[in-house]
Amino acid sequence: MVAACLLLGGCATSSLVLLPDDDGHQGSLAVLEAGGQPGQGVIAQGNSRTKLGNVTPASRPLGGKGLKPQEAALLGSLPPPARSFTLYFDQGTSVPTAASQAVLVALRGEIAARSGPQVEVTGHTDTVGSEEDNDRLSQQRAEEVLGWLASQGFDRSLMSATGRGERELKEPTVDNFGSAANRRVEVIVR
Amino acid sequence: MHRLCFAIGLIALSLATPASSEIARIKQSSGAAFVERNTQRLRPAPGLQLLAGDRLVTGKDGRMSLSFIDNTRFAVGPNSQVAVTDFQYDRTRQKGSFVTQIDRGSLAVVSGRIAKSNRDAMKVRTPNTLLGVRGTKFIIEVPE
Repeated sequence: MVAACLLLGGCATSSLVLLPDDDGHQGSLAVLEAGGQPGQGVIAQGNSRTKLGNVTPASRPLGGKGLKPQEAALLGSLPPPARSFTLYFDQGTSVPTAASQAVLVALRGEIAARSGPQVEVTGHTDTVGSEEDNDRLSQQRAEEVLGWLASQGFDRSLMSATGRGERELKEPTVDNFGSAANRRVEVIVR
Repeated sequence: MHRLCFAIGLIALSLATPASSEIARIKQSSGAAFVERNTQRLRPAPGLQLLAGDRLVTGKDGRMSLSFIDNTRFAVGPNSQVAVTDFQYDRTRQKGSFVTQIDRGSLAVVSGRIAKSNRDAMKVRTPNTLLGVRGTKFIIEVPE
């Protein structure tokens, strides 16, 4: 094995460090192929290190030494997670409620704090009125929010606005039912 | 007539969008770092929009970080060569496929919605291994 490595010009192999998600949940990776062979096995142990290239992976705990300095630096340079904001609207209008004005201010602060921000604005309605009217209203709500952000100095090329009408109810209801929870604009800031 | 041709051209272009629409945005970069697109070499300024097929290349002091439209996040370390060889995402259904190839260097990943959408919808390929990502945070290192 060592001889084969020397012949191939060095034994440095790829490796994987698996960490818990930020919310504490533990994900995993499946070895689908290794060295041209179908893989068998899943790497699922959090805070572990695994050499890649074997069909059956063998992981060992990071232990007391923990992450190498260059690994910690790499994790430290990850962008911040996406953040969501929700604004609410009165029946039939495309102006956010008074209570949602504070959310607009928080939204503006979040975008300003990010490097290379991307802003996705999606409008929704409740089920009062026709589908066509609600498609239009949800688009107007999204564009109202986008327009306000543009008026605050953010370039429109950072942002997109779409309307989803009454297709994605936050609170499931029958048709023609007024719901404050459904009359909303959701904004994702990345 | 010219205007009509132009209009038809625009429609054809918009129908072919999957290959030319934004998949991610550069957040930060430092040192020797480039985005290679076909024969172009782009400077990864914050806000640069990435397309499927782009290659992320760094020199010995280079770094870059980026966020994808499905909320996946990448940090690319020094001396790296990483390519997003396939990226398809349906925003409405929140489903897609995502293949990243790491030829050299280091990459930290926090997976997003694509990895959650279907088993092994997100894959990472190193020179000797193909991994299926099942919703997680990890670092891959591929020595030269």
